[in-house]
Amino acid sequence: MYIKYRTPIIILSLILIFISCESDEYKVPEANTAFRNDCIKRTLGPNVVGLDIEFAYAMALGYDRGKILSAEATASIPGEADTYLEHHSFHTNNSGNDIGVVIAEPSVTSGNTTRITFTKDTCAATLRYFYKIPESARGKSVSFTFSSTASTGESVSYEMGPYQIAKMDMKREIVLSNDNKCYFSIADMEIYNETEALSRADKIDLVYLYKSIPGITFNHALVSPNANAEFLQGKIIPSGINSSTLIQKTYGLRDRHLARLQFGEYVDDKDFETLNISDAPNYSIDLRAEYGIWVQTADNKYRAYIYVNSVNNNARTMTISIKRYLM
Amino acid sequence: MKKYSILILLIATCLQSCYDYPIDEDGLLITDRAECYVSNFELLGTDYQTVRTKNAVIDTVAQTIDVEVRWGTDLKKLWPQFSLVTDAKLEPKITSWTDFSNLSSPKRWVVISGNRKVRKEYTVNITVQQLNP
Repeated sequence: MYIKYRTPIIILSLILIFISCESDEYKVPEANTAFRNDCIKRTLGPNVVGLDIEFAYAMALGYDRGKILSAEATASIPGEADTYLEHHSFHTNNSGNDIGVVIAEPSVTSGNTTRITFTKDTCAATLRYFYKIPESARGKSVSFTFSSTASTGESVSYEMGPYQIAKMDMKREIVLSNDNKCYFSIADMEIYNETEALSRADKIDLVYLYKSIPGITFNHALVSPNANAEFLQGKIIPSGINSSTLIQKTYGLRDRHLARLQFGEYVDDKDFETLNISDAPNYSIDLRAEYGIWVQTADNKYRAYIYVNSVNNNARTMTISIKRYLM
Repeated sequence: MKKYSILILLIATCLQSCYDYPIDEDGLLITDRAECYVSNFELLGTDYQTVRTKNAVIDTVAQTIDVEVRWGTDLKKLWPQFSLVTDAKLEPKITSWTDFSNLSSPKRWVVISGNRKVRKEYTVNITVQQLNP
């Protein structure tokens, strides 16, 4: 059998080899030269009043078809005064760094719209848009429309959102001092000395203490003004300051807004809405950097998360940042 | 002879694969082990850090666990963690924070051996570190 079919098999094999070796001629794909755009949201986590929402808005036109004339971003709720559209176009170099090239005059904001007019003859750009979240957007949702026009008469636009703006407030880097400013008000998100605290006694929720007790891990503490005397460690609280704030200690919740570390963890409105610390004590001792406390004011008007940025045993100080939610 | 050997091997394989290992109501394997004791004990606060001042004292004869917690510990919200001998399990299961604030009424857990035939009740006695030791 082998002898009988040898010749046809050889011929068939050769044909197959020739056919399989034939290749289609490669053609460089034609680029889409129509005016197009795209957008991504760069910021993560909850959108807190006072912070930016950052977008990267990209637009491109065929190389030999014309140039981009203008770009604009329109927010459904006008941003704060610091809202702007970058007049640099960014690209990422081989080292991973963003390199900016000036392509327009600084942006101009009028009402809801922030606009730039290109001064460089360019057919492609990626612009950053920084929307400073205004007080008027608290608890609402905000949407954005990005658009651009080209010398060809074409225009493009891109819708982003809606994005929910958090109800909570935030304040960072508040320094508490055992020897001076040790009375903290959650309502004001402010630290006071004794004289200042007396004038707003009903608003004082926490007292900061530092004490080194041999054999006991007390050190840096946040205590309710009317906590058991042993937790006040001899601190005389002026009469009238007597709130009992619920406090639950936690560790490792390094909210990125408060800690400004690399961890992608965020405390959001939902956390406050579902927080249940009704059986928590009214003191928290031995607080250290990267610890935090969940807090509920005596009148349950506010819930808060206080993050400990740093402590200093020698100066007897503690630096905190707070997110606060009005119930 | 060869044919019978293959047949026997097939039957043996089937019997082996069909053997039903016993499991308990939690889906855990019931084994032959009769050992029944706690080998380690941990107690965590709301920050998921230990609240012990030193290692817990486990008496496997008296079936007690004595733990001293730091002064200022919130006893209402603690999370006990038991390490048990191999194949043993704990009853009741620990699925949430435990309130230890009533020091005069210590909490109790039952350790059940791997063969589910031996049950030993352990009492967890908590003392709080004194401010002026």
